[in-house]
Amino acid sequence: MSCDNGSARAVVILAVLLTAVSILAVFKGAVRINFFAMSEVEREILFYVRIPRVLLAGLVGSALAFSGVLFQYVMKNPLADSFTTGVSASSAMGAVIAIMLGLGVVTPLFALAGGITGLVAVYRIASVRGRVQPITMLLAGIVISTFSSATISFMKFLSDDAVSSIIFWLMGGFQSASIRKDAVLGIVILLSILILRRDYLSLDIICFDDTTAVSSGVSVEKLRRKAFFVAALLTAFSVGYAGIIGFVGLIIPHILRLLRFVRASELVPLSLLGGAFFMIMNDLIARTILAEGQELPVGIITSSIGGLFFLYLLIKRKKELYYFD
Amino acid sequence: MIELRDITALQGDFRLSVKELILKKGDFVAVLGNNGSGKSTFLSVVAGLKKFSGEYILDGSKFSELPPMGRHRIISLLPQQTSLNMPFDVHYVVLTGRYPHTDGRGYGERDFQVTEEVLRKFDVWHLRERQFNELSGGEKQRVLLARVINRDSPVILLDEPLGGIDLRHQHDTLDLLKGLSTERVILVVIHDISLAVREFDRFLFFVQGDLAHDLVKHQLDEERLSRVFDVKVSFIRHGKGVFVYTEGGRK
Repeated sequence: MSCDNGSARAVVILAVLLTAVSILAVFKGAVRINFFAMSEVEREILFYVRIPRVLLAGLVGSALAFSGVLFQYVMKNPLADSFTTGVSASSAMGAVIAIMLGLGVVTPLFALAGGITGLVAVYRIASVRGRVQPITMLLAGIVISTFSSATISFMKFLSDDAVSSIIFWLMGGFQSASIRKDAVLGIVILLSILILRRDYLSLDIICFDDTTAVSSGVSVEKLRRKAFFVAALLTAFSVGYAGIIGFVGLIIPHILRLLRFVRASELVPLSLLGGAFFMIMNDLIARTILAEGQELPVGIITSSIGGLFFLYLLIKRKKELYYFD
Repeated sequence: MIELRDITALQGDFRLSVKELILKKGDFVAVLGNNGSGKSTFLSVVAGLKKFSGEYILDGSKFSELPPMGRHRIISLLPQQTSLNMPFDVHYVVLTGRYPHTDGRGYGERDFQVTEEVLRKFDVWHLRERQFNELSGGEKQRVLLARVINRDSPVILLDEPLGGIDLRHQHDTLDLLKGLSTERVILVVIHDISLAVREFDRFLFFVQGDLAHDLVKHQLDEERLSRVFDVKVSFIRHGKGVFVYTEGGRK
């Protein structure tokens, strides 16, 4: 099939781009490293700061893009991602609670608890007789998101010394990267891929109405629950390590769909690569654009680059974006 | 192939009931009745989309004991309305009809082969690269029919399959279905009595949720049809067949 050749070519192109931007990101930084004669300090910076950071950016990008694809399938809504479903914000709330309680090490677990609590709340609110109503779900997501952000702001108001780290959760960033975090997030992503390895075809089929999907042999509700959990898992660990970073889960899958990659078997692998590429590039810009080693929060870059590009696509190719009945 | 006994299904205040019905291979059945008489609910029950009580034997096994994928390899259903919110092309839409035959990971050589045949049979081969959602209503309906037939299942349930399809393709479609029905059970919900009387050989009539009549062609009479549909029905014999003339208002 010509289509498969197309996605194979896209995988190769994205893999090359990803490798190139990763190498560039490892080379460039606030401290110039002389790779041919590294001092002890330079070696420390390279292996304990820069490489873990580039890896974390890539992994978070992959996880967020992947979770965005899943949220869009489950909610049958092009505007669904970890941000709009409220999962990011409730994960961040969990993380901030962990910090307030002085439990820094288990932050991702608190984020996961927060994320799943938020997701279950949204899921319950939007379920009518065991079926999820996409529109109600989105509204519930906005409510949960607003509530979580308010809670985070309130905690920031209460506490002075934890303020800087709380701002980190709200703005997002990769400053706290470590090889251990990279490994954990890598495992989470691998696990997610493994859990869904037999569901690519059925994810496509739930894009039909439920009657058609069920009579095609897909256990629609079971698949939705599964995809939901995986998406929450990916989001919680991303937020737990890098704070709230919006837009990636929306923009990467949308660009891919506009490029005519519309099947789950193409969207998932390409989103993993595309998300990683996009995030490493954004982080590279965030930490090199200002003079003298100052950093911009990466969320500012993702939202401005992503937002502008998205706007361009919306205006240029409005008609082709999505179909609703 | 299908045996139903004392089946009841509830949908809000509506109650579907089928005392006894046995359908065998080769049955090409028209399902008739006024709006809200239970035709679609009946198809949903047979397709396993709706909870019911009573005895349902499919292909020799109790329906409840068949695994979901197994059920849908035996039965395919074309619902009255279908929506799709991804820009899939026609070829892929029809290919997804083969899902119950896969292991969930990918479609095989045979799936592609059968899909190509079905696309040609339903005269939508030339549309295969078009986006499904950009087609006209009748073209969409033919693609969806092709998708359902692509399952290659021994039981096929079609809820108003001819809606929006032009006359030529209606004839082609009915001929195709008739050909397929020799080895299968095909149930078709249809409102055009004239067409039904001409093309089908068995008729199920639903009245207010009950399977009221189960008749073969020579048992049809004007009196009974008039009562079922609440209009005056008369048969006009002409050359090759029977035309059905209907008049509204009082019988």
